[in-house]
Amino acid sequence: MKIETRTTQESPALATTTATTLADAKAVHVRRRLTPLIFTALLLLLPLTLLAAVSTGSTAIPFATVLQILLDGSHLLHFRESWDPALAIIIWDLRLPEALGAALVGAGLAVAGVLFQGMLRNPLADPFLMGTSSGAALGAVIAFILPLDTTYGLFFSLTPLLAFSGALLTVLLVYAIARVGGRTPVVTLLLAGVVMNALLVAVQTLILTLSPQAQFNLQALFNWLSGGISVNSWWPVVIVGSLIVAGIGGALVLGQVLDAFALGEEGAAHLGLRVEWYKFLLIMLGSLLTAAAVSISGLIGFVGLVTPHMLRLLIGPRHRPLIAASALGGASFLTLADLLARTVIAPAVLPVGVFTALIGAPFFLYLLRQSKKEYRWS
Amino acid sequence: MVVNLRPESWNVSAAGGLPLLEVRHVTFGYELQPVFFDVCLQLAAGEMVGLLGPNGSGKTTLLRLLSGVLRPTQGEIRLQGRELDRWRRRELARVVAVVPQELHIPFDFTVEQLVALGRLPFVGLLGSYGPQDRARIEAAMQVTGVAALAKRPFNELSGGERQRVLVAMALAQQPRLLLLDEPTAHLDIRYQIEVLELVQRLNREHGLTVLAAMHDLNLAARYFPRLVLFQRGIVADGTPATVLEPRLLSRVYGIAVQVGIVRGTAHFSVVPPGSREAQEAEEEMAALEPPPRVFVMAGGGSGERVMRALADWHIPFLAGVLNMGDSDHTLALRLASRVLTEQPYAPLSQAALEELRTALTTVETLIICPMYVGPGNVALLGEALTAARQGCRVLLVAPETAATEPSDMAFIPDSESQELSLLLARTGIAARDYTGGEATRLVEQLLQAGARVISRLTEVLALSAA
Repeated sequence: MKIETRTTQESPALATTTATTLADAKAVHVRRRLTPLIFTALLLLLPLTLLAAVSTGSTAIPFATVLQILLDGSHLLHFRESWDPALAIIIWDLRLPEALGAALVGAGLAVAGVLFQGMLRNPLADPFLMGTSSGAALGAVIAFILPLDTTYGLFFSLTPLLAFSGALLTVLLVYAIARVGGRTPVVTLLLAGVVMNALLVAVQTLILTLSPQAQFNLQALFNWLSGGISVNSWWPVVIVGSLIVAGIGGALVLGQVLDAFALGEEGAAHLGLRVEWYKFLLIMLGSLLTAAAVSISGLIGFVGLVTPHMLRLLIGPRHRPLIAASALGGASFLTLADLLARTVIAPAVLPVGVFTALIGAPFFLYLLRQSKKEYRWS
Repeated sequence: MVVNLRPESWNVSAAGGLPLLEVRHVTFGYELQPVFFDVCLQLAAGEMVGLLGPNGSGKTTLLRLLSGVLRPTQGEIRLQGRELDRWRRRELARVVAVVPQELHIPFDFTVEQLVALGRLPFVGLLGSYGPQDRARIEAAMQVTGVAALAKRPFNELSGGERQRVLVAMALAQQPRLLLLDEPTAHLDIRYQIEVLELVQRLNREHGLTVLAAMHDLNLAARYFPRLVLFQRGIVADGTPATVLEPRLLSRVYGIAVQVGIVRGTAHFSVVPPGSREAQEAEEEMAALEPPPRVFVMAGGGSGERVMRALADWHIPFLAGVLNMGDSDHTLALRLASRVLTEQPYAPLSQAALEELRTALTTVETLIICPMYVGPGNVALLGEALTAARQGCRVLLVAPETAATEPSDMAFIPDSESQELSLLLARTGIAARDYTGGEATRLVEQLLQAGARVISRLTEVLALSAA
């Protein structure tokens, strides 16, 4: 038997740093120092965009006046009323609810995006992946064609209610379909979502084709489907607001779970997590946020996709800070988009969904081309 | 000639006491297809065990069962004396840590952030990291030599560095048992050594119990004082000297190998063939051993008694054709000189049948165990009939229950046909015939061709040895 003898290095040097990866280390280091700065910027940006949104419109109101009216109205400070009382009504009853609504929708969608991206371990996931959009749309269509007035008094309108229920019911159904033998494999979940989407869109088309009512409301429905913040009273803001704030709170609690999910479901299980239970919680939380947002905004794309993605590049992947930053960033982004949608071709109003897509899609494609190899479905 | 690197740790398990991990008669299957039957295994605290086996042998599945991700279909697994089902996931994560083969993470976590995740079982979801957790994380990174990489993104590291980070993450869990799934599979030779040296150090200096699935036999021989050879069941369990037995390996892996100690080293090396010398050596080795003259047909555990008895009597035999995953197959791998093998749950292929035909021409005795006969394996009986007609002695082993029916023996048959039906009854084939009568007809023809029905093992042995 001839076997060549050779010596192997018994204990090769540990930790060796190569020059090529030093740059990355530096990037991470820079990111670390930037994080507090970015949070400060986001915290400043949100009130500023809100202020801008409230002051801009068919009648421009100067910032100072807006501030005075708001502070006076909230009884924090008292100013001598030197402004047209109509302005106070415009601000309190029209612009502020709408601006806050936009901010809430933006925050909700962005956080839902973080949840789905983290749970599915894919930076390309978005809140509508599980069939929420088609469920909400179907709910809205039903509301539009029902032979009832869509608005009951000032309290609530049927559209948000049915959109919200449609979205949640669809996700529950998708989840139930995808559940096999006590497990819900991600691939099955996604496929079930796709199929359910197709089915609901077909039902929606069928209803629209057959219903005589549809002719009248088609324009309104089109506007709803392309996304637009439609808030004209405080009630929806309060209801949706509390849902979204609670949802974001829940998401912050589950931040660590999402970090563990980055290791894959089995990796997370090895760290002591009950994976299926948390998967269910994450899906439900994400869908609740999405449904709440969709109920007052219609279908607004890209906020939930782009916001978490961009902030992850800026502050890193840890989910607790990412959720907080995405909530702030999404809120500012959508408030701004809503502001632009109202002003660009004023007095006509563009659907916000068009705006977010026009900004979001090219930006996203740019990111995609920048780092193609990072996106692996696993 | 046996060079054991760590005899004392092997003795720990032999000494007894409560084992850290105990696998009791575990059977596992996905859906209806069992992956393995009746696996028993014990790990004592402080052991370092390598789990060997070809691709698809069920190594990874066994590890997943041990980590609690999968549940056994039958049998139980006990950790520190408590059944695995009774552990809460979080408790379990403080005792057992798993190092995966590799990790793809979609996001840019830094090394430190990943290692910190290992503290989750202690910190909880709402809690925050205290100074003790920080110290643990730091210590885990120090021990594995990744402290210098703490701020680097995990995805930018080399394979060996990543593997060390994964080990560091597992160490942050302060486990007693470390399970590794082919930790060196994607590494080049330098990192393979580096990672295994690290694991060995953790075992020796920190008393960590290690069970690692290994595909590299040489590395396994070098670093693991105890090896378990797995092929849908445990084929061998012991020191490298007993497990790395060339004939055993060649049966399990399906390729002839040589095992020896390379000059200047202290461990076994396994060398696959390739050179003419290796083949010559193999032929030489084969010439030393008398060619087996007995062939065993079995399946579903029916061959256990016969095969064990033959091995105890040092009667070399061939076995087949057996499906992988069949408990008789696992046993035959351990005991037979050669095993004719078919894919799991596949009906016998043409190629396997031809191999069987050739093998049957080389033996004098064919033992047919009381196995169930279905459409998948009925061809075995057809080949047996051909062999019987060509003069091979065929022994039909009667099932154990039939052996205790003396009334049949006392009965004196009137005619030849009555005698035949009596013999047929003794084989008990009718109860095991799932082919709608074809198997019974073949057995009847075998009996007509001179096959004998045997109830006693001693008789089988005497006839086989003759």
